Amino acid sequence: MKTQGESGLHTQTVSPLISPALMAKLEQMELVSRKIFRGRMKGERRSRRKGQSVEFADFRNYVAGDDLRFVDWNMYARLDKLFLKLFLEEEDLHFYTLVDVSESMQFGTPTKLHYAKQLAASLGYIGLCRSDRVKIEPLDGNKQNTAPVFRGRKSLWQMMNYLEDLPAGSDVSLTEAVRSFCLRNSGRGILLLITDLMDKSGYQDALKYLVAQQMDVYLIHVLSQEEIDPDITGDLKLVDCEDADVAEISVSQRLIDRYRATLANFIEEARDFSSKRGIVYTMTSTERSVDRLVSRYLRQRGLVR
Amino acid sequence: MNFLFQSLPWWSWVTLLAVPPLIFLLYFLKLRRTPVQVPSTYLWSKAIEDMHVNSFWQRLRKNLLLLLQLLFALMLLLTCLRPGCDGTELVGERFIFLVDNSASMSATDTPEGITRLKSAKNQIRTAIQSMAAGSSAMLISFSDSASVQQSYTSNKSELLRKLEQIEPTERTSDLNEALAAATGLANPGRSSDKESQLDVQVADALDAVLYIYSDGGVRKVNEFAQGALSPEYHAVGSFGDPPANVGITAFSIGEPSDSDGAVQVFARLQNSDDVDQTVSVTFYVGDVLQDAVADVLIPSNDAKGISFELSGAAAAVNEPTTVRLKIDNDDIFMLDNEAFAVLNPPRKSNVIIISDNTPYFRYACSTDAIKKRSNVEFHGAEYLNEKEYLQRAIAGFYDLAIYDSLIPKTMPQCNTMIWNELPPGDRWQRSAVHSPSPVLDYDGSHPIMAAVKIGGLTIINSRDVEGPQGSLSLIESTSGSIAMLGPRESYLDFVIGFSIVETDDNGETSINSDWPKKLSFPIFMQNAIENLSGLSSFSAGANVQPGDLVTIKPSVPFEKINVRGPDGMITTLKPQENRSFLFSNTKQSGVYEVSNPTDGEIDQRIAVNLMDANESNLVVREDLNLGYSNLQRVASQVPKRKEFWPWILVGSLILLMAEWIIYNRRVFI
Repeated sequence: MKTQGESGLHTQTVSPLISPALMAKLEQMELVSRKIFRGRMKGERRSRRKGQSVEFADFRNYVAGDDLRFVDWNMYARLDKLFLKLFLEEEDLHFYTLVDVSESMQFGTPTKLHYAKQLAASLGYIGLCRSDRVKIEPLDGNKQNTAPVFRGRKSLWQMMNYLEDLPAGSDVSLTEAVRSFCLRNSGRGILLLITDLMDKSGYQDALKYLVAQQMDVYLIHVLSQEEIDPDITGDLKLVDCEDADVAEISVSQRLIDRYRATLANFIEEARDFSSKRGIVYTMTSTERSVDRLVSRYLRQRGLVR
Repeated sequence: MNFLFQSLPWWSWVTLLAVPPLIFLLYFLKLRRTPVQVPSTYLWSKAIEDMHVNSFWQRLRKNLLLLLQLLFALMLLLTCLRPGCDGTELVGERFIFLVDNSASMSATDTPEGITRLKSAKNQIRTAIQSMAAGSSAMLISFSDSASVQQSYTSNKSELLRKLEQIEPTERTSDLNEALAAATGLANPGRSSDKESQLDVQVADALDAVLYIYSDGGVRKVNEFAQGALSPEYHAVGSFGDPPANVGITAFSIGEPSDSDGAVQVFARLQNSDDVDQTVSVTFYVGDVLQDAVADVLIPSNDAKGISFELSGAAAAVNEPTTVRLKIDNDDIFMLDNEAFAVLNPPRKSNVIIISDNTPYFRYACSTDAIKKRSNVEFHGAEYLNEKEYLQRAIAGFYDLAIYDSLIPKTMPQCNTMIWNELPPGDRWQRSAVHSPSPVLDYDGSHPIMAAVKIGGLTIINSRDVEGPQGSLSLIESTSGSIAMLGPRESYLDFVIGFSIVETDDNGETSINSDWPKKLSFPIFMQNAIENLSGLSSFSAGANVQPGDLVTIKPSVPFEKINVRGPDGMITTLKPQENRSFLFSNTKQSGVYEVSNPTDGEIDQRIAVNLMDANESNLVVREDLNLGYSNLQRVASQVPKRKEFWPWILVGSLILLMAEWIIYNRRVFI
């Protein structure tokens, strides 16, 4: 790990996105959708649709033309009436991960972007193990549908490479990028948004777009430790890395307290905004390990089990 | 600016004024901050409200310490200004401002170097401005007469406008009339505001504060009913050393001497200073320099007389000529440095004596003194009806008419002396005949009775006479006045209640008094003719002061006359019934020329002079005597100040403490 001193930019040497130990843990998990969505292909997931699978769903009266293979002959023998056995259809799940790749995500130790990639890889791996349709998109405002879709455990290394090469330093606003995504993807499924929400134009519109997609939305709010507990002193000129905005401060305890209060307020607002709209909000620090986040916090919130 | 520089010298002000720009400069030169890149200033900006701004003034706005320091510097500057509310503390509801605009108020001995009147006006302006809302004030200016400039009003702008209109005059000071006006108007029932058509009650009878702005050089106030007024005397002018001023307080032309006709001109110079003064004086006849005296020493607080002699040739002028005396040294009061008089050509007075018993008068008027100065005509009673007499009497040809035991139907346009008769009309009364009438007393101080000894005078029949108001008794008998001098318009009637010779109903004459046999009779006649025929008008008559009303009697009865003032302003006058003219526009001192408008020939000149020892004495009086009370002066030059600077200083210290706390707690810059 090395630190770029003066600029405050923190970059990190490449470390594996998922450790083998975590991988083993993840294989035991599966993504849970609170809504039951229709998939595109036959998968490992029960659907509301009735279809062919081993799991019994219901009976219904026979009508002319039904496949005689599904008639419950035992019932016919007992009741002298024809009933049809219905089975649950098993479908795949669409799992989208949106990673904020703005300049501000490159801060922290490790960087928030790296943390986001780790998280995306971990959850994507769960999806791959369960034959879900995993799609990871950077929020760079790309109008083209260039992000590949990964399916099946064999796509793991492909996904890893894709994540490693994810471009960083986009200056597109969160709202603009999310809007672009929503226009291109109308399917249902689980959507995981990993961002630091540090957008001066506000994050609310972006979340509203997602809510309109009728997806099962999870918001992972990533903040670096430097943001949560800033360790700065003296007379400083703070320069915004995205828009070069300047804030001149003289650090005092009162100012730090005020900053913390503002941050707490900001998090509270985001949580409030999300929960009112059915978005599951999770705030995490880059200090918290991905393993712990996935196996404990996201499990608590019902994204995985 | 005097006010500013009183507290500090100019260089201190320059230093002090340089402090705020210096602080400003230091803030821009202060240490640069270390730039640190952060993911987003979003939260910081929210934490520091109004921070993400770049404009110049907003950048300053957030510099709380700079603002505080600037404020502190400015408050220190303000403290050095010694701010305070000067002027009177106008506590009350009603005020009367009396402002003296007499001649002495034109002296320029105030600390500001302006005239006393301007200084007084400045003080009153401050006072008016510090009047509480709802309180009303009245403005009266006074010199020898008072003028209500503005009656009670609470309209400050109107008061200030009227205050500006008060002009300096060259008149003397008399507080009596102003005090009368103030007391009269102090408790008005009704408004006397000319501009208001409505007759409204503006003020109830409440206590009023009377502010007198004057130098105190006013005539004695005999009576002043203070009543609801509480007077305050604000002396205007410089205190301490009396101002150096030498003024001419008298200037007159004497009688031409009998021998060579030379004329003596007298002047009196007064020094109201505590040190001796030396001046040079110049004397002009017409515009020609006649004489000059250098280094006239006038002792301190004293006067000195100087005289010039005009030889017979120089005095023998053909027309009224101005003589002028000028003090060449400039001082703070220039109005009394020049005096004027008029040298009239010598003229004999015309006296007519109408009597059926003229021998006694002929005898008495045969003295050289009378002959030299007067043409005396003697006529019998029948002359009263002659055309010549009537024309001359009406035209004012005579200077004195003496009627003995007879009276014309209309009184002539001149002074009269009437023996044993009364002027027509009911203005004069007389008693029944007393017999005998011993003379009890006579007024020896009067010029007519000067040196007239009438002890032991026998008068057989006499009547007491009673003249109109203002008459003066000259001879008194046991029962009352038997000779009285009374006014008639601009003339004098000298009425004597007895005759020398009496004529009974049968035309028989008898001696009534032995006065003609006494030495005192010719002296009496000479005095009477001299005084009543106006011979003293040789030297421009009595001193006319600016503002006085002058009765002009031209030598010829003109239909109208032009009076040209010293400033060149011409006033055309129409005659009164008695062919005399009244001129009131004597605002300025100098010589006024009376001329015939048709040919422009100058008929006479009138000299108007300040010549008032009271006005020339520029000492600002420490107290003002108002009837029975004595007012000590309120120190106007050091007015009651409400000093604000200590409070500002305390405020600055609090500010400094706040600044210190802010700096240490580092709230934000």
